[in-house]
Formats: sequence, C-alpha cells, structure tokens
Amino acid sequence: MNNKYRILIVEDEKNITQLLTALLETNGYQVVSATSCQNGIMLFSSHNPDLVILDLGLPDADGMEFLKKIRKNYLTPVIVLSARSDERDKVEALDAGANDYVTKPFGFEELVARIRSALRNSKNAAAPEKTAGGVFRTNGLAIDYGARRVFVDEMEVKLTQTEYNIIAFLSVHSGKVLTYNAIIKEIWGYNDLNSTKRLQVNMANIRKKFGEKPGQNKFIVNELGIGYRMCENDEEN
Amino acid sequence: MKKLPEFLKNIVISCAILVMCLVLCQLIQVLFNDNALIPAMFGLAVFLISLITSGYTYGIISALFSVLTVNFAFTVPFFTFDFTIPENIISAIILLIITVVTCGLMERIKHQEVIKAESERERMRANLLRAVSHDLRTPLTTIYGSSSALLENYGLFSEEQSKMMLAGIKEEADWLNRMVENLLSVTRLDGDDVSIIKTETVVDELIDSVLVKFAKRYPDQEVRLDIPSDFLSVPMDTMLIQQVLINLLENAVRHATGMTRLWLKVYTISKKVYFEVRDNGCGIPPERLRDIFSGYMNQGATPVDGKNNAGIGLSVCAAIIRAHGGEIRAQNVRGGGSAFRFYLKQEDKNE
Repeated sequence: MNNKYRILIVEDEKNITQLLTALLETNGYQVVSATSCQNGIMLFSSHNPDLVILDLGLPDADGMEFLKKIRKNYLTPVIVLSARSDERDKVEALDAGANDYVTKPFGFEELVARIRSALRNSKNAAAPEKTAGGVFRTNGLAIDYGARRVFVDEMEVKLTQTEYNIIAFLSVHSGKVLTYNAIIKEIWGYNDLNSTKRLQVNMANIRKKFGEKPGQNKFIVNELGIGYRMCENDEEN
Repeated sequence: MKKLPEFLKNIVISCAILVMCLVLCQLIQVLFNDNALIPAMFGLAVFLISLITSGYTYGIISALFSVLTVNFAFTVPFFTFDFTIPENIISAIILLIITVVTCGLMERIKHQEVIKAESERERMRANLLRAVSHDLRTPLTTIYGSSSALLENYGLFSEEQSKMMLAGIKEEADWLNRMVENLLSVTRLDGDDVSIIKTETVVDELIDSVLVKFAKRYPDQEVRLDIPSDFLSVPMDTMLIQQVLINLLENAVRHATGMTRLWLKVYTISKKVYFEVRDNGCGIPPERLRDIFSGYMNQGATPVDGKNNAGIGLSVCAAIIRAHGGEIRAQNVRGGGSAFRFYLKQEDKNE
C-alpha cells in the first residue's frame, strides 16, 4: 500500500512517540519519527511527509524553530503538541503557520480527528471551487459563495458585509483554528487596539442572528483567548 | 507610581485635621474665652495624624506646626513668637514625645500585621501541600495498581475486567490532570507580585467554553443558564476564570448531594459583573462555611470517598478571584442548596 498518508512525529519523549506510532499505524497511517529539531528537519526533507506532529519542547531547539524553517518552503500541515496550557504559545504557533494544536494530555480520538481534518483541509485548500461558486454546508448552515448568502436550516440570515466576510473566511478554513489576528488581518487589513473587540462584537451579532446559545454553538467553536474555528463541512459536499 | 497617591493622601489628611483643629480652637476661644483647652486640642490632632498617616514624618511636622501655632496665635502675647516661656517649651517636648511614641507603636503594629499575613500564607501553603499529596496519592494508587496488574497478568483477566480497570485508569488520570491544572494556577498566583495578565473577554464566549468543557465531563448534568443578552466584555485572565467556573460547577456535582438542578447566572451591578453557581443540593454544613475557601480540610472532616478535593479546588478559586481584585462568597440558599458567587470589576478602558 503506497497511498497511506505519511506522518512525521517530532517529539523527544520516547513513551509518547511509541504510543503515537502504535496508534497511528493501527489507524492506517505510515509513521516516521524524530527526537530532535535537527533530526526532524532532516527527516522532513528526506521523507516529505503529508503531515507533521510537532512537540514544542524539544531538547536542541524550540519546536517553533522547526515550524518557521519548514514554513519557508512548504505548506505541509503541522499539528502542534503543547504541554503548556498558556494560550500565548498556541497563538504564537498558529500565527507562525501551525494548522492546529492539541494540549497534552490529549485523548487519542481528539488527535486523530484533528489529523483527519488537517489532511482534508490541505487537500481542500488546493481546490478552488470552494470559493468560486460552491456552497459550504455544515450542521444546517449553508453558505452560498456565489450569491454571498447565508442560510441556517434553509432560512436565509441577513448578514452585514463584514459579518459575511468573517463567516466566509472561517468557512473556507473550516476545521482550522483561526487566530483573532489572522481574521482581523483578512477582514480589515489592519490591526489596532480595538480590533479584537470589534471582531468579538461582530461575532456576537452573527451568533445572535444564527440563534446560537452559549454551550450550544453548532457552527463556530470558541477557542477562548485564541480565536474561532468553524465546524468541519459535511464531508459529502 | 504607587508612592505618589499615598504621599498626597497623607498630606491631605494631615492638613485637614490641622485645619479642623484650628477652627475648633478659634471657636473655643470665642465661646469660652479661655486658652487652657487649646494645647490639649492640638495634642489630640497630632495624635490622630500620627495614628492615621504612615511613618514619622507627618506626625513630627504636624507637632512642630502645632507648637508654633499655639505659641504664635493662642498664647499671650498673641501673634508673636515667644520662646522664653518655659511652659510652652515643655508642652512642645511633651507633644513631640507623644508623636514619636504613637508613630513607633503604629509602625510596630503594621510590621506585626505583615508577619502575621506571611505566616498565615505559609500555613495555608503547608495545608494545601498536605491535602494535595493526599489527593494525588489516591488516583495514583488506582493507576499504578491497575496498570501493573494488567501488565503482569496479561490475558488472565476477562475482557470485562480489563475494560473496567482501563476505564478506571483513564478516569483517575483525568482527575490527576485537573488537579495539576489547579496546582499550576496556584503556583502562578503565588508570591507577592501576582502576575495575571488580563485580557478583555466576552462573557458569552467564556460561558460557552465553560459549558462545552463541563458537558464533556458531565454529559448528563444540565446547567440552567441565565446571562444578559447584551454584549458584555470583562478584563480577566481567561484561562483562570474558566477554571474557577468549572471548579464551582464540578464542586456542585461532586458535593451537593441530592442536587437535581444546577444554575449558572451572570448579572451586572454598578460596573461589577457577578457570576453565580447555585444548586439545590444538600447545602454546606455551617461549620465548614467559615473556612471553605482556606484550602484545607480539618482533621475531623476526612473525605470518605478519597476524592474530596473541594478544599483545593475552592481555595484555588479564591486565590484566582483575589488576584483579580474581586471577591468570592459561599452561602446556603433558603429552600436548600448552596450558592457560590464572585464578581469581577468591569474596569474602564482608558485606565
């Protein structure tokens, strides 16, 4: 079988690497593992993996180094493993080009879900029809990119220009965490002191229009202190 | 930065007291046409100033000012300085001695308060550590026991038995992880300069994250929500406040025996945003209500199920809220159940 996805694990804890390797292999992935930043970069260029699982605390260098280095030339999805529950590290990693993060300790189901979503995303991003005239669908939310119209359970929701832009941007990257910064840059093009608040107010309005209640957000997940994530689009569409 | 207001405050207080004293003396002089009371009045003024202001400076300056004023304005010959009257000089010395002694006493009291606070914190930390090591050992026992049993007797257990042990390991590991999160917060809040970084957080988003996390752990427990529909944003350390709310909700699930309903309410009163977690369970025993946030269990109240980390969880909550400049309270609700309530200040942006 040559069509297996190849995953590079860059992690210095032997136990975790062993566990991940075993679990990923039984789930049908091919695994390559590195124990240091140097080693990781070498293996990356020789094996050209489809996805990287990267630990941030490596013995020879910060995992961020690895991320920055490979982002110069590659768009390979990277999922960051972080023992730090500090949101700033996560934001930094995401802004440096990581596709997603998982905080240690993590459940295996969660990790596999993120891997699937990241792999699908990297394929989707290459497909231009997602923005051209297609319709995005998730959990009863539909976005018609051609007509710039949004529907919840087949009922049209009137959004302002900005609100639509935010929703469209999130949906194009569905499944991926987008930092406040990334969204602000895309929507307004500049970043000032009140940008985050402006974004949050817009998001609150969008939610109100969608009829979403705290604890029951079906479409847009809060990544508190980090950003937002649109739920994955329904796969068959 | 912090010195300036303090120093201004002291000056204002000293001046106010002295002016008041002057006015009173003037009144006394007019009403009784007598000067005997005046040195006593100034004595009182200087005593009050020494009591209220910090350090020796203000007291001594006020004392000197008083002596000169009495000499100048209230003794014959009026409105001239006369340093030849021995009574005046003696009363000046007495006034100075009162000032210095009062200031000295105040300083000593303040110093003792600092020491007391320090030893109190030390005691809390020791208690916390004791509670923690007890609470850590319990889940570790299960994890270590089950995993080594499975490893050494691989294949001997029935599938059902193995599954049960593995589920136990997972549950206890989960528990350990939450405990570690709590402990990390405590260590972050430890020390004199509490280093929390507040960011504007949307209350709706905060509550959403809390409920999502809570639902993952307790999928069967419904939380009734009552929050304002307006856009509400409060500066806070998001992760820590999230932890407080989860701790409070979890605390209700674990300890409010007989609970059927759980409420989470948010409301605003004069620039303070209140968060309230209320249940209709068994309530809090009155003898525990007093020290419920102080981070330890008394010797008598050893946990029965070995999972009683309410002490730690709640003391973490209290530490986090204190560090935010807020306040947390627990009380029993009429009609049964308990309520935990804390507030955060909704500061002005241009501060």
